[in-house]
Amino acid sequence: MKRAFSSVLLAAGLVVLPLVASGPYYIHTFILAMMNIALASSLRLISLSGQIPLAHGGMATIGAYMSALLMMKLGLSSWLSLIIAGLGVALIATLVGYPFVRLKGVYFTIVTAFFGEMVVLTAQQWQSLTGGSGGVYGIPGPDPIVVPGLFTIDFSSKAEFYYLVLFLVAVNLAFIYAIEKSRVGLTFSGIKQADSLAESSGIDTIGFKVLAFAAGSFFAGIVGAFYSQYISAIAPDSFGFMFTVYTLVYMVAGGQKSFMGPILGAIVLTLLPEVTRSFKEYVPFFFAAVLIAVIFFVPDGIAGLALRTTWWVSKKLGMKHA
Amino acid sequence: MSMGGLLQSLLNGLTLGGIYILVALGLTLVLSIMGIVQISHGEIYMVGAYLVYYMVAKLGLNFFASIIIATLLVGGLGIFLERVCFRSFRGDPDRSMTIAISLTLVFQSIVLFIAGGKPLSYPSPFQGVLHIFGVAMAWNRLVIVLVGFALLVVLFLFITYSRRGQAMLAISQERDGAALQGINIDFVSALAMFLGCGLAAVAGGLIGSLFSISPTMGSFALMKGIACIILGGLGSLPGAVLGGLILGLIDGILPSLTTTHIAGLVGFATIIVILLFRPQGIWGHE
Repeated sequence: MKRAFSSVLLAAGLVVLPLVASGPYYIHTFILAMMNIALASSLRLISLSGQIPLAHGGMATIGAYMSALLMMKLGLSSWLSLIIAGLGVALIATLVGYPFVRLKGVYFTIVTAFFGEMVVLTAQQWQSLTGGSGGVYGIPGPDPIVVPGLFTIDFSSKAEFYYLVLFLVAVNLAFIYAIEKSRVGLTFSGIKQADSLAESSGIDTIGFKVLAFAAGSFFAGIVGAFYSQYISAIAPDSFGFMFTVYTLVYMVAGGQKSFMGPILGAIVLTLLPEVTRSFKEYVPFFFAAVLIAVIFFVPDGIAGLALRTTWWVSKKLGMKHA
Repeated sequence: MSMGGLLQSLLNGLTLGGIYILVALGLTLVLSIMGIVQISHGEIYMVGAYLVYYMVAKLGLNFFASIIIATLLVGGLGIFLERVCFRSFRGDPDRSMTIAISLTLVFQSIVLFIAGGKPLSYPSPFQGVLHIFGVAMAWNRLVIVLVGFALLVVLFLFITYSRRGQAMLAISQERDGAALQGINIDFVSALAMFLGCGLAAVAGGLIGSLFSISPTMGSFALMKGIACIILGGLGSLPGAVLGGLILGLIDGILPSLTTTHIAGLVGFATIIVILLFRPQGIWGHE
């Protein structure tokens, strides 16, 4: 009951956020935070099967280019392009996933990092399609949503984009939650804990690992496609290697074990540097400090810290645990 | 391409190959002894380049003396990092990689703060060219090839003939077994970090005499170094050398035929294709 109440409160807070936020810059930051939540959570979805890829930036880049080119060269609707971009990225992830997931642990991570670099190099080289290093400009925004007689959303203000990304993130998190709690999620954690044991009990480990990789990459592709429609431009290094590394940082610092971890990590680490905006050049240093502190002192991440603080406070106040 | 052009590209390839090998050897030493992928190895290389820059361009020291001092300093940094950051996470890939990522950010920020972001360079003490078969070979590149391969020979002699080197091999094959034989794992890990970081500093110091240096130069070297050790076979020293030669030649020769982007793509594609058929790399074993 208490949990449902706080969830409703959180949802209401997120919905009215653009109304109380002062100025478009803050709304822009919230949009970035939402994108980072989606990316970090989908990265965690892949990590549930015991593999950590560093291809999320590459996958987002592919999604962004795909959606932009579908809209500009083929004239497809923005919504169709968004979905096709996600599915296209999932297809590519499936194709490269079959060879990649045969490599274990760190080797998988490295090869996916190479894949991300190859995406950047391809986008720079293939000038006739991608516009080379300059990238694609003037990408149209999302098509207006018209409900006749009631209202029209034409995506002319940042607040409308905020609601769009909020919707996408909600769908994304619902999907990830459903997958994690389903039989498939159980299979993932079985493979993570004992790869060979899972295989010898008849589980198609390669297939499930590819499934995890493709599903996580699907959401990265959607985020990339959204970004290209929001910023209306995409360059080969918009989602460079460091961007991917930051996504990993959100997940690890937030707490890889819990569902809330990447969400909290993305919110805290996207918004906190904005508080210290006058020290922008120290953001990497700040990231590193948080990361080192978490690894050494809080092995269960920001989510674990938050949980323990809530317990401690409720104990002090003499409340019973919900 | 003319014969002279081909020889020039070959020299460029060997120069790059020498640098890649020095970086890759350090990576593979740390990986096989400590079970850690040292993501911040590229930044160690970058720090080495900046130390040499300050000694050569600001203090006016001799080029080789600067490289030797930088090697010792950076090797000491390696021992410090092993003790403080990596020892508790030996054989724990996820957390040691996260630590290494944060070290990457720390080193980049510190160098950016001290030296600024704009590219710097210092002249090679070896100007002029050597004429072989009527082809002009630049001395500053030949020196890199010679130093790189001389260090390679020294490292192989050390590993094959010294007790410490043999202890390293033993740990890379079976850590617990080696510990039971009385090998001091902490000492050998520190030694591996010293050697690995020292080699990276040499590579950084040498490359700075050829190209300009910047705080973000490390990620390129790291990518190439990891590519070499994956291509050659993880944990295998001869494999790292072979991988470095192959990638160096690809990066030295292909750009003169096509574009640098295509050369990069071919390099990565080669690795992925080889991994498809030999997941353990060319020289590695299961």
